[in-house]
Formats: sequence, C-alpha cells, structure tokens
Amino acid sequence: MTSPAYPIQDKQEKQSVWRFIFQELKPRGKWLTPFNIISLPVILVGLGLIVLRFTNGLGAVSNVSQDIPWGLWKGFNVVTGVAFAGGAYVLTFIVYILRVKKYQSIVRVTVLNGFLAYMFYAGALVLDLGKPWNIFNPLIGNSFGASSVLFLVAWHFMLYIVAQFLEFSPAIAEWINARKAHKILSGLTVGAVIFGITLSTLHQSGLGALFLMAKEKIHPLWYSEFIPLLFLVSSVFAGLSMVIFEGSISQKVFFNQITKENRQARNNMVLSLSKICAYTLFAYLFMQIIVLVHGQHLNLLTTPMGYWYLLEIIGFVVLPIFLFVFAYRNSNILLTRIAAIVTILGIILNRLNVSIIAFRWDAATHYVPSWMEIVISLAIIFIQIWIFRWVINRMPVIRKSPSWAKH
Amino acid sequence: MEEFTYTNIFATKGIEYIVIIAFFATLIPFRMMLKKKKEPALVAEKASGFITASMLRIPQGVFFSKFHTWAHMEINGEATVGLDDLLIHLTGEVRLITYKNPGEQIKKGELLAKIKHNGNSLNVLSPVSGEITSTNSSLHENPGLIKVDPYQKGWIYSLKPSNWKTETNAYYLAEDATSWAIMELERFKDFLAVSATKTEQQPLGVVMQDGGELIEKPLKGMPKEVWDDFQKNFLS
Repeated sequence: MTSPAYPIQDKQEKQSVWRFIFQELKPRGKWLTPFNIISLPVILVGLGLIVLRFTNGLGAVSNVSQDIPWGLWKGFNVVTGVAFAGGAYVLTFIVYILRVKKYQSIVRVTVLNGFLAYMFYAGALVLDLGKPWNIFNPLIGNSFGASSVLFLVAWHFMLYIVAQFLEFSPAIAEWINARKAHKILSGLTVGAVIFGITLSTLHQSGLGALFLMAKEKIHPLWYSEFIPLLFLVSSVFAGLSMVIFEGSISQKVFFNQITKENRQARNNMVLSLSKICAYTLFAYLFMQIIVLVHGQHLNLLTTPMGYWYLLEIIGFVVLPIFLFVFAYRNSNILLTRIAAIVTILGIILNRLNVSIIAFRWDAATHYVPSWMEIVISLAIIFIQIWIFRWVINRMPVIRKSPSWAKH
Repeated sequence: MEEFTYTNIFATKGIEYIVIIAFFATLIPFRMMLKKKKEPALVAEKASGFITASMLRIPQGVFFSKFHTWAHMEINGEATVGLDDLLIHLTGEVRLITYKNPGEQIKKGELLAKIKHNGNSLNVLSPVSGEITSTNSSLHENPGLIKVDPYQKGWIYSLKPSNWKTETNAYYLAEDATSWAIMELERFKDFLAVSATKTEQQPLGVVMQDGGELIEKPLKGMPKEVWDDFQKNFLS
C-alpha cells in the first residue's frame, strides 16, 4: 500500500523550515513552575548586571583586583564548569570508540550538556576580560600568543565546541527533518568524537597547566607540577557524576520522553557509571597521596590550611569512594545520586581551592565575591538550563529519533 | 633566583614506591568489593540450598489447584494463572513452553504449559477454564521472573474464566493452601525416597536420611522414569 500522506508532508516541512523554527521558538508548557519563578528574576537581574559590567567596567560589579585577578566567574564557571562537561568526552569514548552500546541512549543528552557548558562557561570568560574584544586574537592572529597556555586553551575550546556541535548535529537534522544533511552529519560523528576526545583530554589538563605559572601564589598543598594530570583524572569522575546527577533530574522532568525500556535500562547505566566513578576516584586518591608525599608537604597537614586540605580529600574523595562502592554493591540508586552530589561538591571545592581559596592564601586581603558576581554566575547557569530544556523539549535528545533516522 | 627551590626527589622516592605498592595491593580487594550483591531472594535460596516448608511462598489470596498451578481473579473479572512455588523449587532451571495464544479457549485440566529440562518434560495443567486474553510477554524476555516472583510478575496467562465458581470450589485457599503445600512437600520426600530406591540415586537418599531436608531442585538430575512418575503423582 502506498500512502501519499508521507511524502506530501515531507515537502511541506521542507518548504517552511524557517517558519517551523520560528514556531518552535515560542515557549511551551506551563510558565509558573517553581524553577521558573526562582530562575527568571535571577536571569533578569544578571543580564542587567552584565550590561552594567560592560558599560562601567569590571570594577563596577566584581571584587577582583590586580592582586587577585581570578574571581568567581573563572574559578567557578570556567574552571569548574569545564570539569563537569568532561562527561561528554568520557561517554562518547565509551559508546563510539569502545562500542559499549548500552549507554547510547544518554550520549546525546550528555553531549548537549557538554556543548552548552562550553558555550556558556567558556563564554563567561569574556566577562572577565578587561578588553573582551581581544578574545579573538589567538584565533585571528592579531597576536597569537603562541607561547602561552591560554593560546592552547583558546584553540581547544573553540575546536571542541565545533566538534561537540558536530556530534550533536544529527539531532538538529532530525528536528528540522533534513534527511540528506542527517546522513552526512551522522557520518561525521565518529570523526568528530575522536577529534573531540583528543581535544578535551588536552585542554582538561591544559586548564590545570594554567596554574603552573602561579607556583608561588598557590598554597603548596594544592600546587604541584602534576596539577594538569590531577585535573584530567578528576574530570572523568566529575563529568560522570554530573551525568548521574543531571540524569536523575531529567528522568523526573522529562519523564514522558523516555521510552519504557530506556527507563529500565537507566538504573543499570547509573550503577555502571558509579562503578567507573569509584575506580577513577580511587586512582585519584592515590595520585593525590603520591603528589603530597613527593612534594614533602606532610608537615603542612597540621596547619589550618592542612585541615582544609584533609577535609577536601577525606570528605570529598574518600567518602564518595565508599558511597559509590556501597551503592553499587546494593544496587542503591538513591545512594549513587547522593555519592554523585558529594563528588560534585568535592570538585567545586577542589577547583575553587586551586583557583581562589588557596590562591594567595597568604595575602593580607582575601577575595570574597560580590553579590553581583554571584548573581551573574547563577544567571549564566540558569540561562544554560533554560536553553537545555528548550532543546530537549523540541529535538529528539532524550526521546526516540524519528523512524527514518534509524541506521 | 633565590626563591627557586628544588625538591629532592630521592628523599621521597622510598615512600612513593610504598604508596604505589599500596595502591596495587588495595586495588585487588577494592575490585572484589565492587561486586553487585545478588537479588536477596536468590541469595536466600543459595545460602540454604534446601527446600523447607517455611521458605515456600504461599500467598493467602490465591487458589491453588492440585496440579500445582494457581489462579487469581483480578478486580476486572479476569484471572491470571501460573505455576506454584513448590513446583518451581522442585524443577529448578527449566524452560517453559506455552502453546496458547490470546483469543483461544482453555479447559480446566488442559495443557497450560510444558516444563522442559535436559530432554525431560512435564505437562502443567490449567487450574480453570476460560478464554485467554493475554500472555505474559515479559516472561519471554526474562524467564527468571517466574522464579523471582511466581505469583505476580511470573504469571503465564491472563484469561476470562467461564466457570470460575464451581471450578475453584475445591481448591486450596489461605491456611488450607499452606497446610496443603506442607503436605505436598512431605509427600514429595516420600515419593523421592521410593523412586531413589527404584533408580538407585544414592546421593539424594543420603541427604534425606541425614537431616530429612530436600536439596534445591531435586528433580534436576533425575532420570526420565522419575519425571514420568512425578507427572503421574503430582501434576495429574
């Protein structure tokens, strides 16, 4: 039997891609959700403050100074946010390179998350630059600055954003019903993945390498020449913990989009991911110990900063190891989520320690972010979540791809 | 360059080696720790290895037929049917083959399903008559379900009963079901003792005389004659 309905519909949609996108831009669903009520004012105030920052300069909103040039936006949004985006390269590696198909259903949402994280958190870098228009210099060659680690980080960020966009692009093609483009873009995926993994392993450690220049400024318990390696390894469990955490939220929020079989498979995936987290955390713990021993800083452990260091290691590395192991052994999903949250807090603590708290720890005045910095930081995260939600409600990210897109 | 300091790497090497050795040494127990615990029901079964009356699951609101099948009526008037726990414990790892499709009629005492194991087979008979409305598809995907949850997720057919009242009249319900199951377990022990002498299955006989407890899946290694006898004595 031939059905004329299908090709006709196809043609109609092709003619009006732009109108279709315009239609899709309109909001959907209920407006007055608790999340919207909290996030919307923060976003509006944040946007106002961003305008203020660009018209009146950095000093108008932020507490950073010549002495302490790195504030909350870099320490939290950039350095920490990028670590959490690490889930994308770990999962694409597992699914596309190791060919472990069981994680297939969460790859797209993770890549989307990583892509948006890079867009916004790397974007937050612009806020911090005294002359933001100079951000293009390493790319256009006005002044490459090839001897700087920042040159490396800038190019990696830019290329990785492109690679992630390519990895995600089949979903966009499915959304606007572009079948030919979908075929081409799907073919590019594996290439983009390999490219992306190379880039992200390099710049996760590259971000750590930025701190190698600040040897005298960072407390010896946090500074070591192995920061790049520690940043790379910790990005594995940081990213996967974020996948677990974000997955548990989207499982509730986007419940209707998840097919029945995926819902059942999800718990299994979460448990396997917590196993990987446990292993990498375990390795990370020993790396930290070796770094501590190698630096000969054991005597510093009994100082106030030492207690702070021990809190980070015992409370946010050793504890989550046990939580993950216990959760995995007992197939306890709730506990994996708790473990993931503890790990996430630990990563935030670690990155803030390196970039803010233990940075110029001996200075006379300490950096405390202004309320405006905090609002802008939150606004950036909320905007990212809004866009994330918008995309998921429209494109086949969590829900199944249309039947024509099946390979 | 006064502020430039060297770390004497040799001073720390010994401890570093110890840390690395400790890492590899703890990696092994860590790996062993990272093992999933089995489903609690299966653990209990493995731990004891015996079939006892107390471990048999006998829900009090289900009608048990003498064929070791059960029937349970839902609110909507449809009934689910399946195998009882004792039969599952006696046969163990088996393949279940069903023959009926939705829409077909089944009579009480007619073939409900076949249990197959190593070339031996048992015919399991339907407890009630009616028109089959659906088969349990998840049982096909996960045959272990019948062991884990024989009375809820492990149902075999759902049917519209045609003669429910008279057919279930003589079935065992509530405490009757419990005492009947205990009796059947004892009867099976006697049955096994007799067939063991018939077929010279020594190991089982020893177990029986030692403590009077049945080991798990006693029919598993039994020859065809015992399976046929079991069919005659327990399932017909």
